[in-house]
Amino acid sequence: MKEPILSIRDLYYVYGNGQAALEGVSIDINEGEKIAVIGSNGAGKSTFFLNVNGVLTSKSGEIRYRGTIINKKNLKELRKNIGIVFQDADNQIIASTVRAEVGFGPMNLKLPQEEVIRRVDEALAYMNILDFEDRPPHYLSGGEKKKVTIADIIAMKSEIIIFDEPTAALDPLNAEMLEEILSKLSMEEKTILISTHDVDFAYRWAQRVLVFCQGKIIADGTPLEIFQEEEVLKKANLKRPIMLAVYEALVEEHLLANEKIYPKSIREFREMLSKMRRSTLLSG
Amino acid sequence: MEIDLISYASKIRGWNAAFKVSFAVLLMILCIGLNNPYVSAAVIIGMAYLIVVKGGLSVREYLLVLAIPISFILLATITIAVDFAWKPIGQYNLHLGFFYIFTSLEKLEEAIFMILKVFAAVSALQMMTLSTPSSEIISVMRKAHIPKLIIELMNMIYRYIFIILDVYSKIKNSADSRQGFCDFKTSLHTFGGIASNMLVISVKKANGYYDAMEARCYDGEMIFLEEDKKITMIQFISAAMFISVLFLIWGFTK
Repeated sequence: MKEPILSIRDLYYVYGNGQAALEGVSIDINEGEKIAVIGSNGAGKSTFFLNVNGVLTSKSGEIRYRGTIINKKNLKELRKNIGIVFQDADNQIIASTVRAEVGFGPMNLKLPQEEVIRRVDEALAYMNILDFEDRPPHYLSGGEKKKVTIADIIAMKSEIIIFDEPTAALDPLNAEMLEEILSKLSMEEKTILISTHDVDFAYRWAQRVLVFCQGKIIADGTPLEIFQEEEVLKKANLKRPIMLAVYEALVEEHLLANEKIYPKSIREFREMLSKMRRSTLLSG
Repeated sequence: MEIDLISYASKIRGWNAAFKVSFAVLLMILCIGLNNPYVSAAVIIGMAYLIVVKGGLSVREYLLVLAIPISFILLATITIAVDFAWKPIGQYNLHLGFFYIFTSLEKLEEAIFMILKVFAAVSALQMMTLSTPSSEIISVMRKAHIPKLIIELMNMIYRYIFIILDVYSKIKNSADSRQGFCDFKTSLHTFGGIASNMLVISVKKANGYYDAMEARCYDGEMIFLEEDKKITMIQFISAAMFISVLFLIWGFTK
């Protein structure tokens, strides 16, 4: 088996006020995986992300990035390779023009100026925001700000990209745009972790789901496995994705044959229906 | 805030920032140093040309922006021109009940020259602020070796003014919708509440901000990508010519 890109062992983190936020988190993340991190508010998702990025220092436990243990000396290497797109864009955007903002990460990597400019141009073109490169962030809309924060991370060429509740402040159109970007990033073999409350999105998009509950990972598996476990869902205060619930209801009522197809989106559901009709027509 | 918007919309925003800043400062020094009303008038006209014709700002808006400094200048110079006395003295005087205000041609002239001089200096600076976004002015200051700490503070303050204003208006609206400003006493109370809440939010935001910066490899020094816009030869020559014309005017009217 391939070596995991990121491997975390027994991570403990305690907040300044003595409140434990992570209580022994262990996980291996493989290259190119699409992982959804779900769990109720305060379950430790954001704390986990900040620990993984090295912004918060864990009380105990170890983080290995491509086999090397991360310590104070090579922390920068970790931050370079793991980028976080924060939930609130206003907490992330620092510079007063979009260009300078996207260049902030590469500048901190101490790259030569030409390289920084090249990367900024690339990232802006990637996110399709070249037309407002000179605008200050306070005259951007929410969706535009989100694009800028994603461009921030793309310019750093991180191998792992973490999105902290990216869809929280987006309208449906921008959420759709985000999913397009995610699939584009996946095609480039980027490893993506997304924390979300949107179980339908997690079910549709992810290859693997991690469920956080009170500072621990209580479940780790494919979306189908996770969302079929009643106990896990109850413990983490989660709902079943609508597509799954509808499918199971149809099977239960014998309106559908139990072929274990499990469509994940409306499109897949329609495809399944038309395929079934065709097969009944053929047999009938 | 208005000025910030105007500077982004200006058509001469693409000019090299260092060029605009040094041109403005040089003109300001000339206005004060040469102390010549004709030079001042020339600067006022020249700057108005740059802002309105080259920069594409409407005359009305330009006058609105100038209204604030003009009122200050007028208030300040009135005290130079006019004096008080108990008896009717001076070249011109006006009886106002039990005292007189008086002035003389010489003093009026002095005041008008003063207005012209200050106004010219102000309009040179306006040319700079109305066409150069703050971030660019800050980057020019960085090149002028202003201490790093001040530059970083300026950058963050500029960015944060807008965020804090935004947060403030949200809190205020929500307080308003719950009758937080129904009478004077309640308003005071609400304002106090908002102020203390703003402090807490600022501290929280500062933490979030710091995390986000660290996540992008921030290690104690804020460095931003700055790209210099080119100075064209025409701009440089025009600026040099304008300054020589000012010297000529000064030479002839000395």
